[in-house]
Amino acid sequence: MTPLKNNETYLADLVSGLGAISLELGLLAVALLVLVADLLLGAQEKRGLGPLAAVGVAALLGASFFLPGLDSGEFAGAYVSDSAGLYFKQVLLLAGLIAILGSVDHVDRFFPSRQGEHYLLLLFSLTGMLLLTGAQDALAWIVAFELAGMPLYVLAALHKTGRGTEAGIKVYLTGAASTAFTLYGFTLIWGLAGDTSFATLSSVPSQPLFALGIVMVLAGVGFKIGAVPFHLWMADTYQGAPAPTVAFLSVAPKIALFAGLVRLLVEGLLPMGAIWRSALIALAIVTLVQGNFSALPQRDTRRLLALSGVGHMGLLLVALAAATPESLGTLTFYCLAYVVSNMGAFLVVGVITDNGGSGSLDGLKGLATRAPGVAMCMLLFLLSLGGIPFVAGFWAKVLVFWAAWKAGFSFLVILGALLTVLALFYYLKVARSIYIEDAEENTPISLAPSTQLALGICAVAVVGIGVVPGWFIQPAMDAAALLLP
Amino acid sequence: MGLLSVIILAPLLAAVVLLVVPNRSRGAVRLVSLLGATVSLVGSIKVALRYDLAVGGVQMRENLPLLPDLGIAWKLGVDGWGVSLLLLTAIIIFAGVWASWTMKDREKEFFILLLVLVAGVFGVFVSLDLFVFFLFYEIAVLPMYLLIGVWGSSKAVKKAGPLAKVLEPFDLGGRQYAAMKLTLMLMGGSALILASFLAMVLHTGVGTWDLEVIQVTAYPAALQKLLFPFLWIGFGTLAGVFPWHTWSPDGHASAPTAVSMLHAGVLMKLGAFGVIRVAMICLPEGAAFWAFAVGTVAVINVVWGALSAMGQTDLKYVIAYSSVSHMGIVMLGAATLQVDGWNGAIFQMFAHGVMTGLFFALVGLVYERAHSREIFEMGGFAARMPAVAVFFTIGGLSSLGLPGTAGFAAELLVFLGAWKTVWWWAIPAIAGAIFTAVYVLRATRAIFWGPPAELPYPDVRDAQGCEWVAPILLVACILLFGLAPDLLLQYIDPMTLEFLGPLGDRIADSTAGVTP
Repeated sequence: MTPLKNNETYLADLVSGLGAISLELGLLAVALLVLVADLLLGAQEKRGLGPLAAVGVAALLGASFFLPGLDSGEFAGAYVSDSAGLYFKQVLLLAGLIAILGSVDHVDRFFPSRQGEHYLLLLFSLTGMLLLTGAQDALAWIVAFELAGMPLYVLAALHKTGRGTEAGIKVYLTGAASTAFTLYGFTLIWGLAGDTSFATLSSVPSQPLFALGIVMVLAGVGFKIGAVPFHLWMADTYQGAPAPTVAFLSVAPKIALFAGLVRLLVEGLLPMGAIWRSALIALAIVTLVQGNFSALPQRDTRRLLALSGVGHMGLLLVALAAATPESLGTLTFYCLAYVVSNMGAFLVVGVITDNGGSGSLDGLKGLATRAPGVAMCMLLFLLSLGGIPFVAGFWAKVLVFWAAWKAGFSFLVILGALLTVLALFYYLKVARSIYIEDAEENTPISLAPSTQLALGICAVAVVGIGVVPGWFIQPAMDAAALLLP
Repeated sequence: MGLLSVIILAPLLAAVVLLVVPNRSRGAVRLVSLLGATVSLVGSIKVALRYDLAVGGVQMRENLPLLPDLGIAWKLGVDGWGVSLLLLTAIIIFAGVWASWTMKDREKEFFILLLVLVAGVFGVFVSLDLFVFFLFYEIAVLPMYLLIGVWGSSKAVKKAGPLAKVLEPFDLGGRQYAAMKLTLMLMGGSALILASFLAMVLHTGVGTWDLEVIQVTAYPAALQKLLFPFLWIGFGTLAGVFPWHTWSPDGHASAPTAVSMLHAGVLMKLGAFGVIRVAMICLPEGAAFWAFAVGTVAVINVVWGALSAMGQTDLKYVIAYSSVSHMGIVMLGAATLQVDGWNGAIFQMFAHGVMTGLFFALVGLVYERAHSREIFEMGGFAARMPAVAVFFTIGGLSSLGLPGTAGFAAELLVFLGAWKTVWWWAIPAIAGAIFTAVYVLRATRAIFWGPPAELPYPDVRDAQGCEWVAPILLVACILLFGLAPDLLLQYIDPMTLEFLGPLGDRIADSTAGVTP
């Protein structure tokens, strides 16, 4: 932290800094609105909370495109709001919006009395994630990290079933371990640097002990993003937690943490690049290989998607390790593509299970005849996750390879490209259930309008990004170009 | 919007329109698909007529920046080779739509996937930007999974080989196994292609995906020698290059008629086209270094495919293996790196495409009526389906390279080229043609001309109504381009010379450097 100025300028600094966190403040306001409404509304009226939260987040997402000029450092350099951060925030808000819309029906049906908690916690978590994308000071970073993480423990456990409890316990215990690792790592880095500000870090001479601190932080973050070997909780949690929460859990914390890592590693610890780069590469290799191979034998759709998500994290780690302007732009864009594809896929699984279907691949059998629209959406999401042309994931996949090759990681590119074939195999396995195998039961599938809207947003985005990628890639690239000195 | 974009987008647009056509209006589904295919066919013929032979080179260019920062552009253009291959694709999809006219199961989805696939094929043949090339290549490969998995037949698919063992725990049915095998092998190939493309693009020094820049970039010889096998195997998998051809018999045998037609007729050509257009032209020194291996493997292809075809009793498997054998001839022509060989390779792509399209269309007809594909269970069908019998015989004669059919001109050129390059390549290749005569004539005799079958086969009768369109169109092409091969060669030959001209110098330079 830079030395405090006299009170008056400090206050002025603080007030002017509020502009930088206007989106976070907005989210907080929406959250408080939900809290108050939850207290005032009767049991029957609580179903209005979801739409209220959704409208709030949608309004913020819309407003984010009209924010006035971006500043570099605020709050004495503890927080930055730049165009890369804004891109991440918009992606996160989109994820939040989809999650809220997707959960309106689910929450109303399965735990109607606890709707307030659900949305409130989701919004708090989202606020933390947004803060994490701009934190440039170890203290701010940790606070945002915890604010983003803690509400998720409760969110995951809202189903009071055996599996639901298991989901909650697992995410809580790994979360606690994650915090411990991260804090210890930060303590080391902080102590060695003598300052919590990331700006100072970039001018501190490299010392061997930094390596330990960096590895500790990466291990802690590894738990949250599900990098191998810290990924073991994911499959169980994803299987047991409420489907819309899983959709959120599977993307938002990961994106926020990648944004946080960009701030810490690329902006702060750039001189120590050799250390974290090799650590990230090692992590990326095992994550890519183990994630894809362990997804292979899965018969439960959510477990399959969970582990395939691990594989995607491997690609994001490659992009982060490369740390060139192109690769960081790709990372940013990849997050967007991943949000719409992965959340969409999880929401479809949620639709099936909410309609009494099984969560295993069998539950998807004959979906093409039972609900052609949903089946088509799911196919699009799967193709996008598999990286097929004209859907979002294709551009994300190819750009990661392109950027990584350009940074000299040709080995990783070949490994990743071959593993995407493996990935395609299990995505096609899902597609096979949907399109090729006949339904076991022929009950029609009903969709609440809010869920339809959420799926529609995902599907339109997946196709839209695939057809006019330039609109989304260019801003990401421009934003990322400013990140590196 | 240029003519080339129209050709690519017409099937895509038809596919989008089909999305909103209700499932029940079966006539409308077919009409929309046919309209899409017809626009492409008319467009392709127009391209052939508008192409100025006196000028040559790449014409009808379109250039629209897609992602300028990354050097990616929607850059299209057609050269003499492109004209021939566009025509082939358009003919096959047009015939394919007609051949699927009597489909009864989920036709709407079927036609959508078929049209998407064909848009990808058109795109590959006219892309002048490697990224767009790759994008279309992937589009062309993927719909196949569902097309075979949903509409294919599980009959007679034999699960063998290492991949069968790997896939065993997943308990896939026959057609699903074939579909999965095909998709995985082809996507594995495209992973190698993508990696080599990235290397080529980033080594241009300017980071552009422009094919015309890449093909004049002088890459270091070591890099060319390293990348060439990647592209050869990557594209070669789709071209049915030994030993990466194993997906093709299973895939073709289980695919529905129109899909087999498209897949053997045009999709495998994408692979061979990729090897020549990207690998050989852009990496000439690598090509020169590996040419012997490519040619030798191609010869193995010819013989292996023919011998395997001889061993089959399932009609579709016979045709499928004959494709492997004939694609070997294309690759052999490519390996010669020489005018006759390349002319023959491109011509063989066209000839084989039309011929194999005809075969699969006819096999579909026979199967629909006889409900059997076992060659030796059928017999004497010529009396009851005379036209089909005659068409099948013409296809067979073209397949074994009888003068007067398109197959003859193509094979002759390739053998000539092979003889001039590595003389002994021609011997097994010609032997392969003789084996072809054996299995083709044997199958033709057994099914059509031989003694009547023991079983009654009550439904066997000649083609009717719409079913005539595909066979007549394709037979006409075989005869037309067989009697007047110059119709096509006038497009192909100048282009070959144009490509080989600078290439010859660069190859000569590199070998001059190597020899003491």
